[in-house]
Amino acid sequence: MPLRSFFQRDRTKRNIIAEGHVVPDPSRCVQCGICSFHCPIEIDVRRHAWEGVPVKASHCLTCGECVARCPRGVLRFERTHLFDKEAGDAKAGASKGGE
Amino acid sequence: MMDYVIIGTGAAGVSAAETIRSYDPKGRIVLVGEEPDGYYSRPGLAYFLTGELPESQLYPMSAQEFGARGFQVVQQQAVGVDPAERRVRLESGASIAYDRLLLAMGAAARMPDLPGVDLPGVVRLDNISGARDIMRRARKAKAAVVIGGGITALEIVEGLVAQGVRVHYFLRGDRYWNNVLDETESRIVEKRLVEEGVRIHFHTEAESIVGRRTGLFGRGAPAVSEVRTVQGEAIPCQIVAMAIGVAPRLELARTAGLDLDRGVLVDERMRTSDPHIFAAGDVAQAYDPVSGKALLDSLWPIARDKGRVAGAHMAGIPVSYEREIPLNVTRLAGLTTTIIGAVSTRAGSEDTLGIVRGDSETWRQIPDALISQQGFDVNRIRLMIGENHLLGAIVMGDQTLSRPIHQLVVRQVDISPIRDQLVEGENLGDVIAAFWSEVRANGAASRETRS
Repeated sequence: MPLRSFFQRDRTKRNIIAEGHVVPDPSRCVQCGICSFHCPIEIDVRRHAWEGVPVKASHCLTCGECVARCPRGVLRFERTHLFDKEAGDAKAGASKGGE
Repeated sequence: MMDYVIIGTGAAGVSAAETIRSYDPKGRIVLVGEEPDGYYSRPGLAYFLTGELPESQLYPMSAQEFGARGFQVVQQQAVGVDPAERRVRLESGASIAYDRLLLAMGAAARMPDLPGVDLPGVVRLDNISGARDIMRRARKAKAAVVIGGGITALEIVEGLVAQGVRVHYFLRGDRYWNNVLDETESRIVEKRLVEEGVRIHFHTEAESIVGRRTGLFGRGAPAVSEVRTVQGEAIPCQIVAMAIGVAPRLELARTAGLDLDRGVLVDERMRTSDPHIFAAGDVAQAYDPVSGKALLDSLWPIARDKGRVAGAHMAGIPVSYEREIPLNVTRLAGLTTTIIGAVSTRAGSEDTLGIVRGDSETWRQIPDALISQQGFDVNRIRLMIGENHLLGAIVMGDQTLSRPIHQLVVRQVDISPIRDQLVEGENLGDVIAAFWSEVRANGAASRETRS
């Protein structure tokens, strides 16, 4: 594999991680723990869902395993808008209150 | 220093304890519960039965975490409340003093008055020990009879099927969960159950459960061996599962002389008729401003929210309680189904008594609504359309629109721009998806204007 494409792949992954994170909807969660059970790096996603806070752990791979496995549609990816070129603070702020 | 005593270690109790702690770092918080396993995810038991989750995963908070928050746990049954002395009596004979008491004992499975109902092998999915009992018996059993309706009955059916047990499912009427699902929805679920190998017995009622001695030369204790029906059938089985509904556990509230109806009556602060005693979770019957009635729910997020409100008021912090629109996302015969708000089919149920787990009485409130539907196979949407907003919905199968529809109901979004299209019922999915994008864009725009 050429060295450049190796770094390219790594960069794409980092961008994805920085641009999106897993956000819970606590009103759907029943704390069953399927999300935490399937997290490959053992992040306590269930606790995030109980507290209603996004999974912002820097080591989250955003692999989507918890989002896909949750039987109740509690989790979703949301853009962080960190890298939106023309996005000012207003746009980033707007995404917080969105669906 | 305040003494807070919480009876029950479920979602409502733990939520109240956390809320109290957030407002009162020093108060003494004691959680009293007879369950040796403490706090676990009751809805998660369904996934334990199907083998998707190990039992160890069902505990959201460890004993150390309880300790770190300064919660004392007393593993005993509370047997009485003396409101004049403000003490709770325990089964050991000891008693605990309280300044504020929370009753969060939950609900227990109702058992029918049927000969043989006490035999070993008659099971229910009330708590973690009930789930273990089902798993243990399923390993040896060849066949099981499941009696009842709603979500719990199907959770048991699915669990037993996953464990390789042949399941006979008894329904008294001609379809599944007829007071929440409409006929098409019932048929979709039934078809899938049959495909999984479940034998559904319609118009069938158990008359008695027959036991037989087991073990070598029949010297063991008697256990379930067959179910006889009113219709004259005899079905050999080793397990009989009951899921005819749950009832709030009111014994303790009675000893306190509180005002009761089907549950413990509470105001919008979750306060009972005694100003020092609060109630939350499945045991509490709270006033619903929409229907103008006091209703029961058996839903985890609502139990948690009631616990939060009770906890705040117990700590002397007034917070307002806005009754959430009841929502459940469940799997019916493997099909993800979201039930939101008022969805009554106006039918009475023969398979259940009162409320079942994962259920809300709100769903059976009869809305003044037009009904629109789309999809008659696996993916289906049914909307209850009010004057200017959506009152309820059932989304089966494809869940893409589950969240948008939930939000339209919860936020009471004015749907008049698309109401005619919805009533017409053509391309419901597309109409809602487009409308939802518009609502979100407008919401974002209005926030931008404000900032």
